Amino acid sequence: MSLKKKRIITLIIVILIAAVLGRLAVRFVMNMMLGGTLFGGDFL
Amino acid sequence: MSKKEKTPGRGKWALIYTGAFILSFAASAIFKMTYDPTHGKYKADWSDSVGTVYTDISYGKGEANKFDLYVPADNSKESYGLVVYLHAGGFATGDKADDKEMLQWLCSLGYVSAGINYTLFNDDHPDASVYSQSMEINEAMPYVVDEAKKLGYNVDRMAVSGGSAGGCLALIYGLRDADTSPIPVKMIFEAVGPAAFYHEDWTNYGLDQNSEAAAGLFTTMAGTEITMDMIENHSYTEQVRPISADMWVNENSVPIVCAYGEQDKICPFASSTRLVEQLEKYNIPHDYYILSHSGHGLQNDSKLSAQYMDKVTEYLDKYMG
Repeated sequence: MSLKKKRIITLIIVILIAAVLGRLAVRFVMNMMLGGTLFGGDFL
Repeated sequence: MSKKEKTPGRGKWALIYTGAFILSFAASAIFKMTYDPTHGKYKADWSDSVGTVYTDISYGKGEANKFDLYVPADNSKESYGLVVYLHAGGFATGDKADDKEMLQWLCSLGYVSAGINYTLFNDDHPDASVYSQSMEINEAMPYVVDEAKKLGYNVDRMAVSGGSAGGCLALIYGLRDADTSPIPVKMIFEAVGPAAFYHEDWTNYGLDQNSEAAAGLFTTMAGTEITMDMIENHSYTEQVRPISADMWVNENSVPIVCAYGEQDKICPFASSTRLVEQLEKYNIPHDYYILSHSGHGLQNDSKLSAQYMDKVTEYLDKYMG
């Protein structure tokens, strides 16, 4: 696999992880303020 | 060959990864905050062809004693249902304008809808209480009905509703004051409104462990003095009766649809079970949605939140015509 291909795959993984963490961060803050479970219910 | 030569553009790609992470994180967070799981089903595309709003109509001497009235564009019907929606804000903040979307949606269904402000508990009004607010709502209703009639809308039945503090006040009006209403109250819908005041239920505030705190908070809410002794010997229940919706349920109570978050840190979930026990005892038609993963924002159970709103629509069709 070429270096460029590896870097693009890494970039996609970084974007996906950031997207999940962004949603989890909002959920965490809302649950802190209002109550709620972090992973229960609608995941994310 | 040096290490640097093995991975050309390494610094540039590190920057790209960092930038992509920040952008993706921020975009996802913003999407999460603004996403509407009902896809706008409960929002009206508001315009003059849907209805007209009359704002800040006075109903009393207090600065806060004002209401907004939304009337449908179609004024040809012989009679209309009135739906009052009371705003949230922990009895200390909030405004009827916060519920503009809800009031517009109700109006788009053909109802006359009204949002009523009440005197909030704050530094300017340290004597305001849940009780005084409930009495202001009671005082407002004849004005709301008269104003609708003046505008040519013959309202002859009503639903009372709200969220959080507004839900509490809606329950109090619909269960305690329905007999004094200028037009028959047909139903209540509300979410996350405190429905009962038993100190052992208010665990989020530590009231089950601290009689002094319980006496202080319930005194403020009930607008009458409650002592530690009263808390300890349970005689305070008469003092909180005027603001305890559960204590006003009887065989003549109106149907209720309500939703509560089981993880709620603001409105004790246990207060809702007290209400439902009474509704079941008196066989009052009701639908009770428990959002087991959610708190006060009903934020983690989107499907159930949507089902609650679907049920509200069903109740409106059934009981308000």
